[in-house]
Amino acid sequence: MNHSIHSEAELTLIGITNEKTLEKRLPGDLAMWFFILAELTVFAILFIGFAVSEQLNSAIFIEGKAKLHQMLGLINTLTLITSSFFVALALNAMHAGDGKKSAKLLVVAKLVACVYIAVKVWEYMSLFEQNIDIETNTFFTLYFMITFFHLMHILLGMVILTFIAVKANKNEYNASNITGFEAGASYWHMVDMLWIILFPLIYVI
Amino acid sequence: MAYGRYALDYSLSTYLCDLTFMQIINSNKKNTLSWLWLMVLTVISTFIGLVINNKALFIASVLFIVFLKGQQIIDIFMELAQAPKFWRRLLLGYVTLLPLVIGFIYIL
Repeated sequence: MNHSIHSEAELTLIGITNEKTLEKRLPGDLAMWFFILAELTVFAILFIGFAVSEQLNSAIFIEGKAKLHQMLGLINTLTLITSSFFVALALNAMHAGDGKKSAKLLVVAKLVACVYIAVKVWEYMSLFEQNIDIETNTFFTLYFMITFFHLMHILLGMVILTFIAVKANKNEYNASNITGFEAGASYWHMVDMLWIILFPLIYVI
Repeated sequence: MAYGRYALDYSLSTYLCDLTFMQIINSNKKNTLSWLWLMVLTVISTFIGLVINNKALFIASVLFIVFLKGQQIIDIFMELAQAPKFWRRLLLGYVTLLPLVIGFIYIL
């Protein structure tokens, strides 16, 4: 089609000066972003606490990290990134007005996240079989506390994704009513971002 | 005049639909590239210890990769590259400052 039929002046008249003006907005609810900030703060305290404890008890932490499976941490990182990717695609599909496709992509995102949960549960069971639990030492207290807290966020995220998938499937979102979808997607990306910091802290460094 | 107004409205709505469609196609491409980049960075950060023997350099490299990955999630997946600068800077500040603080704790 011919895009040149609109001069800049015509677009300015109706309040559209350029493409950037159209897009310059915060995705989702402001309340969700404050919630995300609160969550990030809590996790920042836990991560810094973990790093300080490691410096104070380096022998225990080296021994503890050796008992973890780095490959499981890697698989979980790859699954969460992939899940986040499908949520981003689902949001794009919803922006295009394709609620059914969006809901299907959200289901894929959740199935990928189920791999994360299965791996995490297997890792916990494996540690329990070695008589390792939250009271074993400082490393495992922090390990179980941080990873379980993160797992709870994954489960909450999956409930949110289910809720928005059902609404998307019914085509209840549209261009003027998509903040709920965006807020849910942002929450999921935050959970992914937290694991990206958690993974090297516990499994790599 | 009325026909002219109709023609303007019709072509403008088509233009905006077309614009939105192109944005979605571009966004899907960006998301796919970002996903691939995140996967590559994850694998690099996992095995970087095999090639870097210096502890400080190893920790700095891993934490720098955390920043790179965080930036991708914030700008591409969360779409904060198109959001008001305050929120983008706030989130980018998080993935910059937190790895820096953790790095200082480990290295110093």
